[in-house]
This record gives sequence, structure tokens and C-alpha cells, in this order.
Amino acid sequence: MSFLAQTVRQVLRQAPTRSSALTGAMRSLSLAPALWQQNKPATADAAIDVAAIAKDQQKECQSICERVNQQVAKMEQGRLFAVVHLCGKQFKITAGDIILVEGYWPPTIGDEISLDKVLLAGARDFTLIGRPILESGLVTVKATVVEKTLTHTKTHFRKKRRKQYMRINFQRSPNTMIRINSIELARPVDASSEAEKEPSRRLF
Amino acid sequence: MSNSHLFLKSGFPRAPLQNGLGRYVCQLQRITLKFCKNNGSSKGMRDFIENHLVDFAKENPGIVVYVKPRRHRTPVLVGEYLNGDREWLSCRNSTQEEITKWVDLLRTQNGSSSSLRLRKMWHTDVPSIQGPWTPFLLRSPEAHGQEYPSVEASKPLDAPQTATEKLIELFRQQKQLGDEDVLSQKRAE
Repeated sequence: MSFLAQTVRQVLRQAPTRSSALTGAMRSLSLAPALWQQNKPATADAAIDVAAIAKDQQKECQSICERVNQQVAKMEQGRLFAVVHLCGKQFKITAGDIILVEGYWPPTIGDEISLDKVLLAGARDFTLIGRPILESGLVTVKATVVEKTLTHTKTHFRKKRRKQYMRINFQRSPNTMIRINSIELARPVDASSEAEKEPSRRLF
Repeated sequence: MSNSHLFLKSGFPRAPLQNGLGRYVCQLQRITLKFCKNNGSSKGMRDFIENHLVDFAKENPGIVVYVKPRRHRTPVLVGEYLNGDREWLSCRNSTQEEITKWVDLLRTQNGSSSSLRLRKMWHTDVPSIQGPWTPFLLRSPEAHGQEYPSVEASKPLDAPQTATEKLIELFRQQKQLGDEDVLSQKRAE
């Protein structure tokens, strides 16, 4: 399971009963009674518990994914937003947004591009979180390059006192303006697709 | 140090007329190349006109290109945009490559850009879709009715059981079992 799909409402409703599904960080932050917040010491039957919990989580994940898919099928999800990684920066975007890329970037005006590094995608009721990015083809983000221009003239001035040293430089760096056209869920969310896949190895 | 940037107009990124939402429209309306036919400072401009201008005009049918020879004046590039902006560039003694770059800049921008300092690199009409964050987001409903100061909420979340608490618990268990049972157990031992 590469993403955690949870409806906000569901979390709100079920928060007191599902301590196991919440991560440690969440647990330490929540204001629930201290009894089930404590990390209980491992007992002999911990192994059995873990398996049961994993099964429970799997089931829950399946049901959540089904609900997300139902919502998307009925076109009730509303406006989608996404966090994309572009040229070393992360932007939170939705359809119709304008973002600017600083520095040299080859695409020219009128180019229609798709932003593939989607870190997170969400709607009103659900969020898909990538680890670190969502699998390719799940969310399509389309954009158009609208403008390529230079920034205003920036002054770079340095001076050392009593050393007869003074330099003044002027610089303008390129800027690219991008319009986000659409963010869409390309295919139904699947809980088991990535669970079976082995974690990708890093080769150096 | 120049303080001119302090008085520079500042603004936020905008694209004119929802440009790029349906289709993209090039914002450069017309470009005028002024040059001298025999002065040395116009050499680069003359080279550009000879070698690249026809290709440029063919590639960009939406842009009107004017070429204006004038005697003993510096070469100049003027671009006029759909939003009414007019950008004037002196190309004195610049080479053909430099002029190609400047023409490309005039073509790709939406208006004269030199006079605006951007305050953000992002513009959106819908700032929040899931609603803004509040301290009560994803918290249990019981936390809403909590009254402060309270002993329960003041405790650290991950405090382990102390030895005293353990002893007290053991003592309680023994009490629950009852004194008789304990006695019988001891006797059995």
C-alpha cells in the first residue's frame, strides 16, 4: 500500500476507537486518554496481534479505496489539488493555478506539458499520499507554458569599508510562468497494487 | 547602493485574459526593427535581418514584423503587446546572436516585465480545498469538551509506569483475590 487514503470525516468519527491504525506520531499528538496512548510492552502473543492488526488494516484500506473509487465514478469528488515537484521546488496546485519556475528551463511558450512527480493528490474528502511520489499514471496533471521572461533587474552590490573595494553587478534571471490546466484521477485507486510489488532498490 | 528596487512596483503573477486555459495566444502583437543601412553599430541587426528575420516571421504568423531603415541612428527593437505595453530595446553594437536572444525574449513574454517585482511565485483562485487547518482537525471529539487545567491532560503522553504504581497495582490484585486465597497459595507453596 503506497498511499494512505482516509476520509477526513471517517478519521474524525473513528478516532477514539482506532489507535492501532494511527502512526506513532499521530498517537503522541492526539489528546485521547493516556491508557491506549501508551506503548504497551510486548507480550508473548504480540506476533498474533500484529497479524490480526495487519489484516484489519488491509480490510480497512480496501473499503476506503472502494469508497474513493465510488466517489470518483459518480463524479462527486469535486475539485482536485496536488502537490507536484517541479525544478527542485514543490508547488501545491489546483486547476487554473499559475506557478513560476525560476532559472533556466527549456520548455517554450505554448508547450503543453504533464507534471509527473506528484507527491500528493487530494479532493474534499480524501487524500492520496505518495511515498515519496504517487505511482505513475495514477494522477495526470496537465499544464501549459504561458510566459518566459526575465525578472526585474536585481542589484548585487558589495563593498568593504576602508579597503577601496566596491563592486556593483546587475542581473536578471529567466522566469517561466506555467498555467495548470487539469488535475485528474486517471484510473481507480487500488489498495493491493503496490503491496505486492517489491520496494524499489537504490543503485549507486 | 542603488535603492531603485525599493520603489519598484511589486505584484503577483498574473496571466492576461485566462491565457493558456483553453488555448495559448502569443501576446506579442507587432515587433519593429529599426536600423541604419551603413553604420557599424547596426551590423548585428543587419545580419539578423538578412539571415533570420524571414524564418522568424514564417514561424510566428501572429506577429506583425516591421523593418524600418533610418540613417545614422542606433538600432532599436520595439515590441508591442496585446495588453498595450510597449517595450523598447537599444541594440547598439550587439551581435546577431544577442539580437536573436532579445527578439526571442520579446516574443515569449506577456508584456514589459522589467518594472514588476514579484512577491509570490504562485497564484491561485482556490486557496484551500479541504478547508484551512485548525487545531481541532483530526482530533478526537472528547478533546473538544476538555476542561483545563486538568491532571489527565497535563501528564506526558509516553510516561512509563513507575515502580510505585506497579506495587500499588500488585497490592490491589492481591486484595481482589482475597486474603484467604493468598494464604492458601502460600500454604501450598
